[in-house]
This record gives sequence, structure tokens and C-alpha cells, in this order.
Amino acid sequence: MNELALKELLYKIADDQLILGHRNSEWTGFGPLLEEDIAFSSMAQDKVGQSYAIYQMLNQLGEQEPDTVAFMRNANQFHNCQLVELPNGEYDFSLIRHFLYDTAEITRFDFLANSSYEPLAQLARKIKGELKYHTLHANTWIKKLGNATEESIGRLQGSLNKALPYALGIFEPSPLEQEIIASGFFAGEEVLKKQWMEKVELLLSQTQLNLPDWKTIQPVLGGRVGQHTEHLQPLLDEMSEVFRIDPSAEW
Amino acid sequence: MLLNRSIAFMMKPIDPRVNRLPGFGQGSIQPKAPLDQLGTYEVFVQAKEGKPFQHEGIVHASDIELAYILAKETFTRRFTCVSLYVTETRDVYVSPLTDGQTSSYELLPPATAGNGPTEAYEVYHLVKRGKQHVHVGEVMASSPQEAMHSAKEKFGAGKVVYNVWVIRKSNIRYTNEADKDLWLTLPEKKYRDAADYKAGDKLTAFLERVKHSV
Repeated sequence: MNELALKELLYKIADDQLILGHRNSEWTGFGPLLEEDIAFSSMAQDKVGQSYAIYQMLNQLGEQEPDTVAFMRNANQFHNCQLVELPNGEYDFSLIRHFLYDTAEITRFDFLANSSYEPLAQLARKIKGELKYHTLHANTWIKKLGNATEESIGRLQGSLNKALPYALGIFEPSPLEQEIIASGFFAGEEVLKKQWMEKVELLLSQTQLNLPDWKTIQPVLGGRVGQHTEHLQPLLDEMSEVFRIDPSAEW
Repeated sequence: MLLNRSIAFMMKPIDPRVNRLPGFGQGSIQPKAPLDQLGTYEVFVQAKEGKPFQHEGIVHASDIELAYILAKETFTRRFTCVSLYVTETRDVYVSPLTDGQTSSYELLPPATAGNGPTEAYEVYHLVKRGKQHVHVGEVMASSPQEAMHSAKEKFGAGKVVYNVWVIRKSNIRYTNEADKDLWLTLPEKKYRDAADYKAGDKLTAFLERVKHSV
């Protein structure tokens, strides 16, 4: 088994889930209505839980404890795409990011359900229902607000235009991409991107939002090799603030 | 007291869903303002296979699909769940309430057959005060009023039912069989249960350590 390639894959998936989970949790108490606040917070919690499951796998493969991995690394040691670390902005941006990211996420885990690394395949099958709800939530809101008022459509369109270059960064190939595919761990970013584009096109075609020509969108890359925006380190500082006071504390 | 009430009338509520009475003796003649709040939907949950659905509460939403989405995390984010459904509040037909030994079924107005086609209705009973309405079964009827009488014949014998609800099945957004995996991992989410943190035990242990270290 190519352990290096497997770890590379696991880190980028877990880091995506952790960072977006934390970002989305920043809406807790500030959601646009009480019920949505609870729903968005719960999904944020799901993402952190999914990252924990994958950090546990990494621990089994010889990496450090999940808490240490999550809270003690600096920004340049994280492999998440830059999309997930961007500030929440207003709710339209968070919803568009939720839709773009979670469409990729459920498609990725559909592939991972057939991974040659059995613990990962088992996790993918187990959390299928969670991911189904996340995309149902995202799709319902995007269809609703993408057909509602001039303001809602305009806001979503602006956020979509802003998020798309970063969303394409989800599919930045890993440094060990070919090894990951050859080992049967995952079908690869290119295959994932193709399916994601089809799903995004299909959903947006049911709204009044315009999807620009994919060829005109320049992907924002670098996240998978530790290059991040100025927004990630402050997020990590805040996320790990309590843990770092006493890393040995039992919670 | 009066002054406080006057101030309360003038204050704009923080929650847009809360409407306060308008101020007295002021303003001009204007059209009635439309409601700026979302409608309400009733949420029914089945905690385990084989257990009846029961009413859990209400969500605000702009339509029934969004209500379903929001109901899922508002009412089933902890413990166990295998299914839920939602319906618009105005689609729940409510029998007269009773507060004594008389069953609500005895207070029903005379049956009136509807003109519409015969449809299936879900029937709910309130049999314990302060508890939720619990599902007891289905009836076929051509109107909600007729559904109440059908429910009386089928489920009303020999017990005091404080209140009865009937809901047209065609007005319900159900969970389909394929989506029951939405709650598959729920029992594992112990971190959503405050009791699971055992904060009291940890505090006691901490105080013991402090006491012995002094």
C-alpha cells in the first residue's frame, strides 16, 4: 500500500471538512432565522465529526492524535482548498459556498465508497445520509432564492461569480495524484470535477442564476500544497485558542 | 406599569416574526400592511421503527419543502429518529377541546359529508395533558369533518381523548423509504447530548484534586 499517497488524500479531505465546519459554525447564533441557524450549525458539526473520523484513520497510520493534528499545525501545514477558508461574508456567500462545496463533497464520497482503502470506503457508506441532507439543504435554498426576488438572485449571482474560481480549486491535483488513482484509493480530481460540473450545471439551470463559461474561470490553486489566503491562520488561531491553553486537558 | 406597556408598544421588535400592537392615537389612514413573516408548518416525528409518529413542534418556512429541510435539524438533531413529516398548520383540522371526563369525540358537530372525493387522512390523539398529539391511524373520508367521525368509530371507543387532529395525507410531505438513511448516524452523535459530557462528574473530580493538593 502506498501509505504516503493515502495520507495525502486523507489529509486534504479531513482538512477541507474541518476548516469549512469551523467556518460554518461561525454562523451559530447569527443565522437568518432560528431554524436555519440550527440546521447550518448542525451541518457544521457534522463536518467537524467527519474530519475527526479521518484524522483517526491518519492516527492509525502513524500520524499524531486527532486533536494535535487539528489544533497544533500552522496554516502552511494544512491541505485544504482555499474555498473553505474564505470568510463567511454575508449569508448569500455562505450558501453558495455550501452548495458548490457540498456538491463536490457528496460526489467525492460516492467515489470513496468504492475505495481500495476499506476504512475510508466504510466511512463513505456510513455518512451517505448526512451528506444527502447537506446537499438537499443547499439545493433547496439555492433553488428557492435563485428564483425569488431581484435582490436574492442578484446577491447569489455576485457570490457565485466570486466563489467559482475558488471552487475549481477544490479539484487541484494532489502532488501524488497518479499514485492515489493507481492504488485505487480514489478515482481522482479530474473525474470528480467532471461530475461536479454536470451537477452544478443541472441545479443552476433550475434557477435564474447564470453560470459563466467554465473556460473563462481561472481556478485558484495552492491550497493542496499549503499555500493559503491570509484568512486561514487567524481561523486556526481562534479555533485552537482553548486547546492550546492546556493540550492535556480532558474535555 | 402603564408606562412600560406604552414603551413596549412603541418598540420595534427585534424578531421580525413578533408583531406588537400599533401605537395609539397616531398615524394616518393606510392600507393594512402585509405580514412580513413566514408561515408555519407542523412537524411529526417517528423516533423508532414500530413507534407511532408524534407531533414535535412547529417551524417557520416559505414552503413545505423548506419546512421539511428545517424541521429535520430543528427537531431530530439528537437521540434517535427514523422518519419525519411536515404539513402546513392550516391543513391540520382540530376537534373541540375538552377539559373533563368527556371525550373530544362526544363534542363533534354533526357529520357533514363532503363533496370532494374520498381521501386518506392521518389521525392524531391527545390523550395525556401537556404531552404531544400521537398518531393512531388512518381513515378514509370526503371532508375533515367526516374524517373526525370516521376516526371516532375506528379509534374513539372506551377512552377519553382530549383532542383529535386529522390531516389529509395529500397535504403532507413525507420521508420516502430511500431517505431514511438521513438519520443513520444520529445515535452516534452523543456530543449533542449535554448529559454525555458528564460535566458534574468532571467538576467533582476537579474539586477533589484541588482539595487534596491544598
